[in-house]
Amino acid sequence: MKRFGEMLAERTFLLSALASSSITLAILAFMVFMGLPLMKEGGFFQLLLKPWAPFQGSFGIYPMIVGTGAISFLSLVFAFPLSLGCSFLIGAIGPRPVRRGFRRLIELMTGIPTVIYGFVGIFLLVPIIRELFQQGSGLCILTAALVLGLMITPTMTLFFCDSFDRIPRSFLDAADALGASPVQKLLYVILPSAKKGMLNGVILALGRAVGDTLIALMIAGNAIRVPESVLDPARTLTAHIALVIAADYDSPEFRSIFTCGIVLYLFTMAVTFLVRYLGQAEGRRE
Amino acid sequence: MKFRTLEGLTVLFSWAAGLLLLSAVSLLLGYLLIKGYQSVNLSLIFGDASPLRAVLLKERVFDGLFPAIAGTLVLVILSIVWAIPVGVAAGIYLAEYAGSRVKKVLDVFFDVLSGIPSIVVGLFGFSFAVFLHKHYSDRIGPCLLISSIALSILVLPYIIRTTQASLEGIPLDLRLTALALGATRFQNIFLVLIPRSLSGIMSGIILAIGRCAEDTAVIMLTGAVASAGLPHSLFSQYEALPFFIYYISSQYANPDELMQGYGASIILLLLCAGLFSLAYGIRKGLNYWAFYRP
Amino acid sequence: MSHSNTENIKIRVADLTFSYRGRRILNDVSVDFAANRITALTGPSGVGKSTFLTTLNRLWENIPDARMKGRVEIKLQGKFRDVYARDLSVTELRKQVAMVFQTPNPLPMSIRKNIAFPLKLAGEKNREVISSKVENTLKMANLWEEVKDRLNDDARNLSGGQQQRLCIARALVLEPEVLLLDEPTSSLDQASTTVIEELLTGLKDRLTILVVSHYLEQVIRISDRVVEFADETIVS
Repeated sequence: MKRFGEMLAERTFLLSALASSSITLAILAFMVFMGLPLMKEGGFFQLLLKPWAPFQGSFGIYPMIVGTGAISFLSLVFAFPLSLGCSFLIGAIGPRPVRRGFRRLIELMTGIPTVIYGFVGIFLLVPIIRELFQQGSGLCILTAALVLGLMITPTMTLFFCDSFDRIPRSFLDAADALGASPVQKLLYVILPSAKKGMLNGVILALGRAVGDTLIALMIAGNAIRVPESVLDPARTLTAHIALVIAADYDSPEFRSIFTCGIVLYLFTMAVTFLVRYLGQAEGRRE
Repeated sequence: MKFRTLEGLTVLFSWAAGLLLLSAVSLLLGYLLIKGYQSVNLSLIFGDASPLRAVLLKERVFDGLFPAIAGTLVLVILSIVWAIPVGVAAGIYLAEYAGSRVKKVLDVFFDVLSGIPSIVVGLFGFSFAVFLHKHYSDRIGPCLLISSIALSILVLPYIIRTTQASLEGIPLDLRLTALALGATRFQNIFLVLIPRSLSGIMSGIILAIGRCAEDTAVIMLTGAVASAGLPHSLFSQYEALPFFIYYISSQYANPDELMQGYGASIILLLLCAGLFSLAYGIRKGLNYWAFYRP
Repeated sequence: MSHSNTENIKIRVADLTFSYRGRRILNDVSVDFAANRITALTGPSGVGKSTFLTTLNRLWENIPDARMKGRVEIKLQGKFRDVYARDLSVTELRKQVAMVFQTPNPLPMSIRKNIAFPLKLAGEKNREVISSKVENTLKMANLWEEVKDRLNDDARNLSGGQQQRLCIARALVLEPEVLLLDEPTSSLDQASTTVIEELLTGLKDRLTILVVSHYLEQVIRISDRVVEFADETIVS
């Protein structure tokens, strides 16, 4: 009896694990299934490059890909130096109370809902940008990238701090005993050893930026045109899904959201594998 | 000389970054609080109805956040109810039973799952609803049930990871104690290991709760609407706090409604900040990637 | 306790009390150390010998929940300096009071860069100066012959004994006046131990050396004086 119970328990746990992992595949499967009609017609890779011109029968998602790329990349440009500096403060340079307190604050910041960033962004930042540049409505790539950058900074900072934490104590003791100042310890011992971990952090933050929906939806303007400057509005893959979901169910327009979904899914897989690969390469070197 | 400048510049740069971040966040929170503190009162939540009667479900609330708050509450509870058993069980499997090859494969799956953007999970929920609609019953569409299932998928990786990490963090001698006394594997897990890692698992659950409460992308595709009253059935559409905020931001008809948006934001902020700091308070040095995934 | 007044005192410790997380580790310890001698610190494990060392170069300050009271004075450049006074920066102190740890801790860089590291911290740029100092200290540490052809190899590829000599060399590069060693040979084999013991004996006319050790024979072999720790205090 006991043994049967044991087996039952083990099988249950296994089942849960299998169910959870198969959901990962199910997600992809559903999207391929639903998006198939459009993709068969247009060809998947074609769709990635074609412009969006429904009246001409073209449902390519190229503008959205550019939109996602532009906003994500720009947000990283803002977030990276900010995160770097903050992680320096927390990891080495700040005095002890500042290090602990600031870290707590940043951990708390990761709990701020995305929709709130979007909300404040619309009513606070958009008018400012509009006034500052005297061009457009303020709902554009720049504004969205600023808000998105702010949102991913706490996460990236914590990634960096964690890679600092994983440096072997012996290196830090050696540096201390030799009379290194905190910033010297940071520059000459911590940073060289933490580089790989930090790269990981950047990639994961990029993944997070690409996957964001609300900030782009609320702030980036959602125009389906390939943007030409950072002050132009743009639409991301994620925002497109949210916007078109209400469209006519069987239309090719509607199906295009599944193309977006697949692209996002593939991007996630790419990020995951890249991070794993980098992690393994480092493991092997040690 | 160059060395000294590099070092000095680094210090300057770091402090500048810290101050910049601090001011940005203060600006964000301050703006919200200043604009919204006036509207945070009982009438924000209950409108014209009396609070007591509304909570007892005797009176309908028309102009308040009560339905949205109730909707979020029910949604979160449902999602957690789906997610906890599956997530904890899967985490136990990974930590206690899985061989290293199986573990690696499962690891990849869960890494991908935790990286999938929330809107894609919402899209999956929507497709799933469509599938059910076509093949099972005409009555099924995007609704509370679908949303909660989709949300549970979203937070499943959190719970799996934190369960796995807490279990794996138990020192070796403790793991072997009960076994040496003749306990079976399952008894060991259930009577010794789980209670020991409870705080870690709890903080993962609280984190998942926070994530469910704040999410907007999943629910906007799977059943959240702007006005639906209190959630009355699993198969009905519903209101939710984050969706309300999103909706109001683009659809507000007058300053009063905008004020409601600010008030709602403050409430949501307090809720999520509270949950997240509770989770971090309970955590005790768990592995980082269990936590900082989107 | 006190020496005869003819000996040259290098380090003066008075009323040192140290506690960690509320637990008292050292209680009102007072002791002086003579210059240019090797003093061994002995006693059972956990009694506070290593902790005592860290009060001399203030390394304990990196540990949270640790508290210290008392006075430590070290004669640096002819004058007694209060180690905890404001006018002596911690980084300056550690350049003159060097430490070698129980487990060798080479930095993840080449042998040459390891030795040159303190010079880099001090702002030394001149390549020739650096090269010559690297060579000199490696010779002082009896390591030069073994590594002179592979200075650019990663320091972690060296054997345990070599790594420890590397760490000693690295500690000596800025010409400190005091050298603190915390059980420097306990992770090494007998041959390496002997080499290091000879090395230390040879260094004492340039430095004041304090060695924590619980190997009685080692203590007898190399030390000029023994300070025994027991239960929060000093016995001899």
